[in-house]
Amino acid sequence: MGYFINNTAFLSFDPLSVFFLAVIGLVSFPSAIYSIGYLKDHYSPQKIALGWALFIAFVLSMALVVTVKNAFLFLIAWELMSLVSYFLVVFDTEHEKSIKAGAIYIVMTHIGTAFIIAAILIMFKYAHSFDFPALKEACLAMPPGIKNLIFILFLIGFGTKAGIVPLHIWLPYAHPQAPSHISSLMSGVMIKTAIYGIIRFVIMILGVGSLWWGSAILVIASISCLVGVIYALMEHDIKRLLAYHSVENIGIILLGVGASMVFMKLNMPIPAVFAMIAGLYHLINHALFKGLLFLGAGSVYKATGKRNMEKMGGLIKAMPWTAATFLVGAMAISALPPLNGFVSEWLTLQAFFMGLAGGTIGVKIFMGALAGVLALTGGLAAACFVKAFGITFLAMPRSKNAAEAKESPFSMKFAMVFLAALTIIFGLAAAPIIKILTGVSGSALAIDTANINFTLNNFIITPQGAGNIYLSPLIAGMALIFIGAATAATLYFALGKSKVVINKTWDCGYYKLNSRNEYTATAFSKPFRIAFDFFLLPYRKTEKIWDSFYHTKSFTYEVYTTPVFKQYIYEPALRAILKIANKMKKIQSGSMHLYIFYIFITILTLIIFMDRF
Amino acid sequence: MQLLLTGVLFMAFVMVISKRVSALIHGFRAQSFFLFLTALYIAMLNNNAEIYIVAGLLFAIKVVAIPYILSRIVRRIKVEEGAGLFINPTLSVFIAVLLTYLSYLFTGRVMPDAGRSQSAAVIISLSVTLIGLFLMMSRMKAVSQIIGLLVMENGLFLIAMASAGGMPFFVEIAVFFDIFVCVVILGMFVYRINKLFTHINVSKLQELKG
Repeated sequence: MGYFINNTAFLSFDPLSVFFLAVIGLVSFPSAIYSIGYLKDHYSPQKIALGWALFIAFVLSMALVVTVKNAFLFLIAWELMSLVSYFLVVFDTEHEKSIKAGAIYIVMTHIGTAFIIAAILIMFKYAHSFDFPALKEACLAMPPGIKNLIFILFLIGFGTKAGIVPLHIWLPYAHPQAPSHISSLMSGVMIKTAIYGIIRFVIMILGVGSLWWGSAILVIASISCLVGVIYALMEHDIKRLLAYHSVENIGIILLGVGASMVFMKLNMPIPAVFAMIAGLYHLINHALFKGLLFLGAGSVYKATGKRNMEKMGGLIKAMPWTAATFLVGAMAISALPPLNGFVSEWLTLQAFFMGLAGGTIGVKIFMGALAGVLALTGGLAAACFVKAFGITFLAMPRSKNAAEAKESPFSMKFAMVFLAALTIIFGLAAAPIIKILTGVSGSALAIDTANINFTLNNFIITPQGAGNIYLSPLIAGMALIFIGAATAATLYFALGKSKVVINKTWDCGYYKLNSRNEYTATAFSKPFRIAFDFFLLPYRKTEKIWDSFYHTKSFTYEVYTTPVFKQYIYEPALRAILKIANKMKKIQSGSMHLYIFYIFITILTLIIFMDRF
Repeated sequence: MQLLLTGVLFMAFVMVISKRVSALIHGFRAQSFFLFLTALYIAMLNNNAEIYIVAGLLFAIKVVAIPYILSRIVRRIKVEEGAGLFINPTLSVFIAVLLTYLSYLFTGRVMPDAGRSQSAAVIISLSVTLIGLFLMMSRMKAVSQIIGLLVMENGLFLIAMASAGGMPFFVEIAVFFDIFVCVVILGMFVYRINKLFTHINVSKLQELKG
């Protein structure tokens, strides 16, 4: 063991690790409280005990991943985290879907781990040690070709865990299938450990090698943003919708991290620190609001027993707490001020504007395009959450289950309110948080931030990377309240007191409006399906049964989108692998002599070619 | 010393050309006997009580007990005597010689400045190990697989003896008992296989694959 751990203190608590520990703590505490109410009546006592044991193991393994300072131990912790989360994905063993999701998850995560192991072993070959400081030292003297190779390996390895496109395929299967408090942990925290890995291994240990590293991350991140949000728009399973939003948000976080790498290489330390702050800020924000949204979705699922939004509706009356907190989360993820999602996306945009002001022409165009992508993503996310909230909580119930839904118990409400409060606090208290994050990102980028002080209270981010940048969420929030109050007052004085009349919606004299006349999620997402049809490749199936020439008895309409990545990347790959496997089967004859012969030949080859190895 | 080592190697060649199972067992007994003499010689040379004990155990288990058990199994299951060769004796000897030459080259490369007698011991033990593996590979009957395994073990014992004066005492003892138990269990298996399939021809066990 001494070979792997050279000193007894194998944990490090540098600012980056502490930051990630804080994120883990902030989300796992409410999740734990939530699970008290969520698991009750749903599972047998033994299953609940098992659930708690796995939950604790999961949180501890994630904490270990972000604190160890030895690559070998990191791999062990990483693998532990993957395995425990696999068991949590298949927690509902009676569903066949869970087993399938678990299988996809464990295959993908092991492919990712294989890449990480390869990268770390290459580093080890140069460093002869697994300790982070030794690795870092060895990376200084590494040839650039090897560095590029290691970067690509890390990007694929950690990218699989983070769920960047096109490696996101497992995420919409696995995250929704776990119990909801686990979904919130997986989406809120676990995929962030991959971001930790990228910052720790690529930026801190390997060191940013060339400009294209950052650019590659930026391009992948912007694709992830758009693909994630477009797929989310098409999704009607509320938890899968949230899972696709995780793909999108990981993209936004990586936009910050990638921009930071680009600025490092362009010798712009202040924008680099700033972009990293934006990324880290969005990371913690996403952990909070995505945790909140998954808890809300779980609460809806527990009340109705359904995950399909088309079967919900009208839940705001039955579940006011869930609806209110879900709304806070939805507004935050749609980047509406003064909530936290707005602050971090605004900071990311500002980072791009710094690049617009400071870089060469190429950098300017690139950064401008990225800012456009980010803005589009925010807009689409807002549309998606109008759908998610409106279809789920508003109008009339669309099914019996939804009509009979009841509010969740106190423990679940408490967890959701707790996270909703944090979502608001992280929006309003942006100034002190940015101050803390400055130190974290400074230590991650090895830039002395003692003299860099981004303050927001006086409206100006100083020192100015480029011109003046104005923001105070506190004042923005107050302004919103003020404007809202002023509008209300004006309307009140102008129009007088309005009389409330409760009546039926006008329905052209039909007098029989029911929930089937409501706007559906499918209908709501239609414009986006048309707008992005070049990517979604939608197709539909209709079936009419005629009573007579003039009257149809029934009409079914189903619309599908083509899963592009599954159909054009994963299925051909799978087919190829199976084909090779079938060919390989021939060497498995079942004859023991042949197997001994293989061993014999292997030993002889090793003896003969010993020098080569 | 050199004479005894040559005896060990020679008996390995004898096993390679033997066509009958009983001949294989006799060959193994003779090889183990030469091994016992080698161990005894080293013990006398170093005047080491532990190696005396090891040599005694070697004699008791490998020269007396294991060949006795194996020949009893062969008698009990009453199979025909042929060991079932995939490769005929002449070619087998040729391959065995090649293996010996290979281990000679290998030893020269691994330990270029070893003394003459030491390198001879390493060469012989290595080739005995390889020949043991070759025996497992090229004989059909399950009993010959057991013997091949034991021959490999003999080679390993020799390499430990020759290069390091034996493994630690307790390890040596443990290995002896392992081998003994292993032979007993494998013997049981052979017996069961024979009962189930009415033969012990390993090359016919291919249906077992999944």
